Amino acid sequence: MLTINKGGGLRLRVSGAPSLETVKLKEPEHVGSIPFSIPFIKPKLVKAEGDHVNIGTPLFYDKNNPELQFVSPGCGTISDIVFGPRRVIEKIIIHLDKSETSETFDPIDKNALKAITRKDLTERLLNGGVWPFIRELPFRGIADPDTRPSSIWVTLDTREPFMPSPDIYLQGKTNQFELGLDILKKYSDNINVSAGDGIHGHVPVTHTCPGSYPSGDPGVLLYHTKQTPDENRSWYIAGQDLLLLSSFLTKGSYPVERVVAVGGSKADKEERRHCITRIGAPIANLLPASSKKPGLRYLTGGLFRGSPVPPDSFLGLYDTSLNVIDQGDREEFLGFIRPGFAKPSASRTFLSSIHSKKLELDTGTHGEIRACVNCGSCAKICPVHILPQFMFKCIVANEIEEALAHGLLDCVECGLCTYVCPSKIELNDTFRKTKREYRNEQY
Amino acid sequence: MKIIKKLFDTQRKHFEETGKLSAFKPLFEAFETLFFIPAITTKHAPLVRDSLDLKRFMSFVILALVPPLVYGIYNTGYQSSLAQNQSLDMIYVFMRGLEITLPIIIVSYGVGFFWEVVFASIRKHNISEGFLVTGLLFPLSLPPSIPLWQVAVGISFGVVIGKEVFGGTGRNIFNPALTGRAFLFFAYPASMSGDSVWVAAGRGAQQAVDTVTGATPLAQAVLSQAGDNLENLLRDAGFTLKTLLVGGYPGSIGATSTLCCALGAIILILSGVASYRIILGGVAGLLVSSLALNLVSGPGSHPFLSLSPIFQLAMGGFAFGIVYMATDPVSAPGMEQSKWVYGFAIGVLTVLIRVFNPAYPEGVMMAILFMNLFSPLMDHIEIQMRLKKRIPNV
Repeated sequence: MLTINKGGGLRLRVSGAPSLETVKLKEPEHVGSIPFSIPFIKPKLVKAEGDHVNIGTPLFYDKNNPELQFVSPGCGTISDIVFGPRRVIEKIIIHLDKSETSETFDPIDKNALKAITRKDLTERLLNGGVWPFIRELPFRGIADPDTRPSSIWVTLDTREPFMPSPDIYLQGKTNQFELGLDILKKYSDNINVSAGDGIHGHVPVTHTCPGSYPSGDPGVLLYHTKQTPDENRSWYIAGQDLLLLSSFLTKGSYPVERVVAVGGSKADKEERRHCITRIGAPIANLLPASSKKPGLRYLTGGLFRGSPVPPDSFLGLYDTSLNVIDQGDREEFLGFIRPGFAKPSASRTFLSSIHSKKLELDTGTHGEIRACVNCGSCAKICPVHILPQFMFKCIVANEIEEALAHGLLDCVECGLCTYVCPSKIELNDTFRKTKREYRNEQY
Repeated sequence: MKIIKKLFDTQRKHFEETGKLSAFKPLFEAFETLFFIPAITTKHAPLVRDSLDLKRFMSFVILALVPPLVYGIYNTGYQSSLAQNQSLDMIYVFMRGLEITLPIIIVSYGVGFFWEVVFASIRKHNISEGFLVTGLLFPLSLPPSIPLWQVAVGISFGVVIGKEVFGGTGRNIFNPALTGRAFLFFAYPASMSGDSVWVAAGRGAQQAVDTVTGATPLAQAVLSQAGDNLENLLRDAGFTLKTLLVGGYPGSIGATSTLCCALGAIILILSGVASYRIILGGVAGLLVSSLALNLVSGPGSHPFLSLSPIFQLAMGGFAFGIVYMATDPVSAPGMEQSKWVYGFAIGVLTVLIRVFNPAYPEGVMMAILFMNLFSPLMDHIEIQMRLKKRIPNV
């Protein structure tokens, strides 16, 4: 086992961590599918409002890759399809039946898996709608089944606040996890399993990353282990998603179970816990109390990478985390000269840096946008040794080749550069957009 | 607090697009955001942001400037009283110092702020906090007898030519405060150098001071002859090492006290606002080069060559320059190793200019401006070296 601890990253002291208490939530009335949150696809609907679907019935596919199917996370009637600006499909809402049925596929066991060809396996995973759980670096889109990755990373814990503890979602599922690894071995000889600082049960962990966020991110791990440029195109999958893959193969039906960590300083104390629920569960189901309070923001998918959702929305395909934090839209009188005992900061300019208590984060910018003064805070914190202050200038000057030489594609989009920037420059957004444009030129 | 909030809320309409004073919107916003951190929420990932903003960042430089500022005010009054045989009572001296320095600081801030507002209004962007630092650094680097109109001309040059013509904050090549000072130095040498400018008279007493030579230790050092023992000469003139460290001698308003600058350096380094690499590199450069000159100096050489490195460090404006001017992140290199080189080179150049160029008794101003010019090149070289080590990913 290799320990990767290269410093960098952010020592976070965020309050509102979920407890290890695990509860099984009652079945919701509705579940939702959020095509909008799936990267790089152009969804084309195959079902319409009022249609009846089973668990695993295709709802839409990707126009660019029609073999990529996205299936229904529930059995019932499509009660609403909500479109956003420019006809973006925001969500598909399914009113669940009392008793649900699944589409069925041929189940296979461990031995049958050994015998099956790679092509056959890919076809099964694509048809079942579980292929999209496998993602591809550096753009973080869905893996291209026609390529052969040099390595595949299974990340049990990305160290982002607050993700479900592997101890909880792996409990009693070691065999299932190992079957998942067998699936991945069909695609690459080099399978890595990374965990935070511990070894979880009997899972064969290859890399530990005890550092702070984002040390457990697959992009960071790849950056610190790669030897040649060939390794840049690696695949990755979250530990929980790998369980879904193997569950699909052994049971022959689309798996919907999810362990979701609910946290954040503004979530009620009783709500901060691990919930066993399902893909596409409504936010309100996870947050019975705080989804009704005003002035809060709900982030699915982690505190840094997460995106804000309204409280009447649903968990996306990949979401295993829900954070509730303050909106932070308050003016602060003479804020810049306050001692700041409770202000979170990566710098040493607040008195919060002399104690080690947990601090509350909110979604205020805490300042206005200014010109870059080359303070270098971003370069100090970057986990993959990029110089964001110079790279963003390359991009603004439209020198994309130079930005690539700076390591644009190594950027793991962790958002730390943007978090620490005292000039409040949207570095992360600039990098993401540029990567997206570059990808669209290539594909 | 509520009264202030109300005041801003009622007056805002005049500065909106349709208001009579819409041209001064940046001015209004500068004041409003000084009192209230605006309630802006994030739109893009990451949705959470650090509490540090540029206002706080720059406030730390102002905070670090307080020791040299307070001591500078005191010392200005003290030297003035001393020259005119007046009371050396602490409070009297301090008030006298205020009387001399406050107008200089007010003119610097007022005129500089005027230019900031003009450019912010034309460019329709917000006023940057960087000016709060420039507007205080500039007067502290001037001799106390400087005429106020020259302060106005100097800060105008510093802000307009030193910063705004390049596109404003973050884009300037040279440190604006130092650019303004260099302009005055070359345009009005009579007010910026020589023996008679370092002690201010205060109102209505010009005559009395003109007869007193307030020679600085650096001028003393330059004037010494071969064979002199410079340390003895300095001591005889009242410049013991202790005086030089504390700063109780005639000189630029805020730049005489090495100890106060060291205190400021500690604040800047502990808070992480200024680069310790530049400061330590600069001190190392100064010590190493003056030590090297000590080694090569013989009996026939100028005594300045054999002056102890500690004296070099303690006298003149080097400490002020390296702590507050050289660490300006915009005009200094951004790369970590370059910062060492940049600081070191400033230290070396300062000594070389001091010792070998009698026309410039203090070398730190020219040394920093010269190295400002090279910082993009140093950054470029270090970035290219660093990028070569990356495994390509395209």
